[in-house]
Amino acid sequence: MLRTIIEKELRDIIGSTKFAVTFGVCALLIILAFYVGARNYQVSRVQHDAAVAENLRQMEGITDWMMVEHHVFMPPNPVSSLVTGISNDIGRNVEIHGRGELTAEDSRFNDDPIFAVFRFLDLDFIFQVILSLFAILFAYNAINGEKEQGTLRLAFANSIPKDTFILGKLIGSFLALALPLLIPILLGSLLLPLMGIPMDGNDWQKLALIILAGFLYFGVFLTLSTWVSTLTHRSANSFLLMLILWMFAVLIIPRTAVLLAGRAVDVLPVDEIATQKSRLMSQLWEEDRKTMKDFKPSTEDVQKVLDEFNRFMQDQAEERQKKMQALSGKLYEQRRNGQLQQQQLSFWLARLSPTAAFSLASMNLAGTSLSLKEHYMDAVKSYQQTYSNFFKEKTGGMLKSGGFIMRRMGGEENQPPPIDPTEIPAFEYRRPTIGASLGAAMGDLGLLTLFNLIFFAGAFVSFLKYDVR
Amino acid sequence: MTTPENTPETIQPMMATRNLSKRYEDGVLALDSLDLSVNPGQIYAMLGGNGAGKTTTINLFLNFIDPTEGEAIVDGIITHQEPLKAKAKIAYVSENVMLYPNFTALQNLDYFSHLGGKTSYSAEDYQKVLLRVGLQEEAHDKKLRSYSKGMRQKCGIAIAILKDAPAILLDEPTSGLDPKAGMEFINLLQDLRDEGKAILMSTHDIFRAKQVADIVGIMNAGKLVAEKQREELVGEDLEKLYVEYMTGYMDTAVQATDASVTVG
Repeated sequence: MLRTIIEKELRDIIGSTKFAVTFGVCALLIILAFYVGARNYQVSRVQHDAAVAENLRQMEGITDWMMVEHHVFMPPNPVSSLVTGISNDIGRNVEIHGRGELTAEDSRFNDDPIFAVFRFLDLDFIFQVILSLFAILFAYNAINGEKEQGTLRLAFANSIPKDTFILGKLIGSFLALALPLLIPILLGSLLLPLMGIPMDGNDWQKLALIILAGFLYFGVFLTLSTWVSTLTHRSANSFLLMLILWMFAVLIIPRTAVLLAGRAVDVLPVDEIATQKSRLMSQLWEEDRKTMKDFKPSTEDVQKVLDEFNRFMQDQAEERQKKMQALSGKLYEQRRNGQLQQQQLSFWLARLSPTAAFSLASMNLAGTSLSLKEHYMDAVKSYQQTYSNFFKEKTGGMLKSGGFIMRRMGGEENQPPPIDPTEIPAFEYRRPTIGASLGAAMGDLGLLTLFNLIFFAGAFVSFLKYDVR
Repeated sequence: MTTPENTPETIQPMMATRNLSKRYEDGVLALDSLDLSVNPGQIYAMLGGNGAGKTTTINLFLNFIDPTEGEAIVDGIITHQEPLKAKAKIAYVSENVMLYPNFTALQNLDYFSHLGGKTSYSAEDYQKVLLRVGLQEEAHDKKLRSYSKGMRQKCGIAIAILKDAPAILLDEPTSGLDPKAGMEFINLLQDLRDEGKAILMSTHDIFRAKQVADIVGIMNAGKLVAEKQREELVGEDLEKLYVEYMTGYMDTAVQATDASVTVG
């Protein structure tokens, strides 16, 4: 009996013109999303390689390591091209100093602001907006549509248990709608190697999990629509109700959650941090200037005087840096704590919507969630230490940052040989492993499963009481 | 030769109601203490206007609603106690047969036959039945969305035949049929009766009821106000009788002393 209902559902949905049209549109958009993602990756890869080469090129001919301006760049990630998350909003380029704070600059949207206007057509958008509507379009009248059509009455003139019927409807409609979507997804996935996108095993697993999350999300709207169709007797009403629920889930709840969390938790503004730092810096400079007056060389040899002065300035700079770092660390920690609280609150509120749960899960899996910036900056800070050691080795213990160094210029015949930029240790950014990504997404995947179970149970219980006449 | 086992009094009715009543939540009494029975090989026609209780009776047999009092029984099974078991014994044709518009007649027949527990039919079996109900062969593979009401009605009847249930419920089955199709339908009903099916039919069509029914029950405001056997209708003007009961039941029928009329 169950099989009969599932088969009928498959045949009824797949044989309809509505399915042919909407599936065609969805398939096109999915393949387009893969293509656009692959193209974006290629563009980002070219930009990244060019930036790395330019970084080395601008060091050519430099004879003094103290003159080097070294940058590192975030390498593009194939999966993040498919689920962009915040990857285009954060800076990719960091100038590395031997010490001190590091700032990431030049985000993709900063370079090409036009893309920030409507954002990219990625898998996250396709699932969030298009496929949720696709699910609603086919399930809003799952039960009341059959009642209006008269087939429900005829079906229940037979010995069909209601639980078997609703189970068959749900399984059948899920299979009829979700399985065909695998075709464009597989075709799109095939595009990646064909377009030379280097997906490794980790990337494929992440992509598979993103698609799984997408299907769980799709299932949420399917079960919710079916439930709504058992609560109303007219399909027009259930369609209207589902559209309202969709608007709340996709558009209103996530935005309102961020707004409410922003109101509820105060975060120390960057401007305030900058003001406090600037104030301290002025104060420290003032103090250092007074100390500089007390500098008395122990010798009259010019080179030794310069060395002594440089050491003196270096010590002062380090002392200043320590104090600045102490204040900066305190302020940024305060800001970070506020942001974390705000973030947690907004995410918890947003998770009332399955759309937010899906979005967070897919971004965590793709490595483009809010933690991307932190992850990248942690890697850069770790590299800063390596670079600092290398730099000290090259400059005899001196670092370049925030102070000034005096040099005695010699004639051209005394010019030291140019530095070799390839000696600089390479920056390697390791993306989160599949285990780490899955760990971060597990809560939201569980939540999506829970939404499915709740809505399925709702549809099930409601249909047991449904008047089939 | 009549033996005590098979006299009309001893045959167990295939369909029966005992003191069957239904009062809806809004207080409307849709059916009031209905007692009727339909034996195998009998056609029972329920005549009555809108709101007379005919469809409510059918809904109670199909357990689409629960009775307030009494019971509907199919082959000895009380429908609201064992609905699935009871429905296995019933085939049903609604007033306005609506099937899946994206399916062909054959696909619709296949689906509903499977729901009815008949899984061994072949496409030829479906075609035979469709031809039997008067649906031309060229229409068998067409999608139902192109069908007229009459054609859909024929499909509905074919579904009921394929279920091969001992009891058949028909809710205004001839309402969408042209006179020729109506006549074919009557012949079909007679064939089914001859096969031993018990048929309970609600209808407005007095002419067809008189033509085919073994028993005619007249219903008004949820009550069975008159019940006549086929032989009692010979020479009787059923239309006149019907109008009389429908319009003047309170004034005339209660006072009727004619032994052949049962006042419900």
